[in-house]
Amino acid sequence: MDIKEIKAVIDLMRKNSLTEFEYEKDGTKIRIQRGPDGKPQVFTTTPGLASAPVLVPVPSAIPTAMAPTPAPAPAPESLPSINSPMVGTFYASPAPDAPSYVSVGTVVTPESVVCIIEAMKVMNEIKAEMSGTITEILVESGKPVEFGKPLFRIRPA
Amino acid sequence: MFEKILIANRGEIALRVIRACKDMGIRSLAVYSEADHDSLHVQAADEAICIGPGPSHQSYLKIDRIISAAEVGDVDAIHPGYGFLSENAHFAEVCQSCNIRFIGPSADSIRRMGDKSLARENARKAGVPIPPGSDGPVTSEQEAIKAAKKIGYPVMIKAVAGGGGKGMRPAHNDVSLVKGFLAARMEAEKAFGNPDVYLEKYIEEPHHIEFQILGDKRGKIIHVGERDCSIQRRHQKLLEESPSPLLDNDLRKRMGKAAIKLAEAVHYENAGTMEFLVDNAGHFYFLEMNTRIQVEHPVTEEVYGVDLVKEQIKIAAGERLGSEFDNLRPLRHAIEFRINAEDPSNDFRPCPGTINLYYPPGGIGIRMDSHIYGGYSIPPFYDSMIGKLISVGPDRATAVARMQRALDETIIRGVKTTIPMGQRIVRDQDFRRGKYSTHFLERFFERKVETPS
Repeated sequence: MDIKEIKAVIDLMRKNSLTEFEYEKDGTKIRIQRGPDGKPQVFTTTPGLASAPVLVPVPSAIPTAMAPTPAPAPAPESLPSINSPMVGTFYASPAPDAPSYVSVGTVVTPESVVCIIEAMKVMNEIKAEMSGTITEILVESGKPVEFGKPLFRIRPA
Repeated sequence: MFEKILIANRGEIALRVIRACKDMGIRSLAVYSEADHDSLHVQAADEAICIGPGPSHQSYLKIDRIISAAEVGDVDAIHPGYGFLSENAHFAEVCQSCNIRFIGPSADSIRRMGDKSLARENARKAGVPIPPGSDGPVTSEQEAIKAAKKIGYPVMIKAVAGGGGKGMRPAHNDVSLVKGFLAARMEAEKAFGNPDVYLEKYIEEPHHIEFQILGDKRGKIIHVGERDCSIQRRHQKLLEESPSPLLDNDLRKRMGKAAIKLAEAVHYENAGTMEFLVDNAGHFYFLEMNTRIQVEHPVTEEVYGVDLVKEQIKIAAGERLGSEFDNLRPLRHAIEFRINAEDPSNDFRPCPGTINLYYPPGGIGIRMDSHIYGGYSIPPFYDSMIGKLISVGPDRATAVARMQRALDETIIRGVKTTIPMGQRIVRDQDFRRGKYSTHFLERFFERKVETPS
């Protein structure tokens, strides 16, 4: 995360009265905590350290996400997202050595397959259901996803 | 013992199961609908997975998503709670084929006792008395009239796939029977996907008394006493207590034996409840079996000092029912009042909304099983029960007094609740004397209309 994104997160936390936020990507973890005086404290961990246990929620915080997937970073712009229509495991490509279905910049139509979600040994092709350009891939291949979880950010055509 | 359990339910029962998991050091995985995003059971669980939008058939009844969540969460077992998929034999089978333990009876038991007409047949074969009725479903008006003549009016038309008080209507003569028969078939098809109905003798001034059953994997079956659930509104239970003011030790012994005999005949495993109707002369008749944990289980827990949900988990994990279950005695008296978000002055219309002030009752002998909290918004998609208030005491009078104190003390603001009705019930002279049947509540309302407060 760059300083602009961290500032955006802190702002969102204040607006929504959140007290803790944790984000992990490529082995780097960042945790932002609002202290009792409302001032934010930022912690980072370098790659190699074990990931922290799932946050213990306080009544006003967002509910516990499933371990070990942390809460996704909110996008600086509010572009729509393609959300998971099921519970399962996300795969970006049809096979481990095959190229991803989409990458940042790919133009999709409603019928374009954007990823696979595997559930109970069945590989389900997930369609974009809208036209536009992929701007962000929000989930890592092989990670579990729940219903409604944002998978891709897309700029509508 | 299991390491992780998925709770396929919501609300207060999900919280109850999660608490049992915590007591046992078992990790809990909650599944939730988008409407339950801020629900307490989601907060309390160690992990949570969203399985769909608000409506139950798109979330809590979606077997595929629940099983996916179980696989993604790598759980050993699923606790189905009550309602939803808890009595769905197909779901129990899917769990088994995916190598996930279903915390409840076998799919076969669910089928054999979940079909009300089959259950009656099993009772008859086991020598357990049943209300006179049609031998199986009646498939035509003519058959219905013939059966009713044999049984003798008044009769009750009941859905084979029904239960929980749903899908039943009385008939006092051939005309109302034919009308009721056709209407009941239509309702049953819509509500349960099965239009079959059967007939049963309508017992006057009945008391609804049920026995809690526990069975382990080795075939040992015991009962944990009875609950009197006669106080009902339109066949929905409102207040339950144990021991029943109607039963003496002899009747309790005989009914308990009958309950065990029937459970043994179907090789029942895990927790279940045998429901009976009892008339004032002490005749009892098997009504139906609920092959799951029940809403009113806390009453039994408080009276007998047993953690029923914990026992369910232990039994499912293969543990035996120990000798502590061989000589159970009621140690206390307990009463449970169901608090619903309904407007008693408006035909009990459900009142979803936001609770802006919540003060739960406390003090000696009070237990509150609820998932609500100050600021919680009750979603409109599910039933209206928001909590169960249980009072316990060394005798009935103390339990009643404590229930009165607790109901008076409870504050729930922002939604209408049935607490005022509870306050009136515990002050009613007939209730305080322990003299009531399933007709209590309708008479209670009639009296209220006559004497404006």
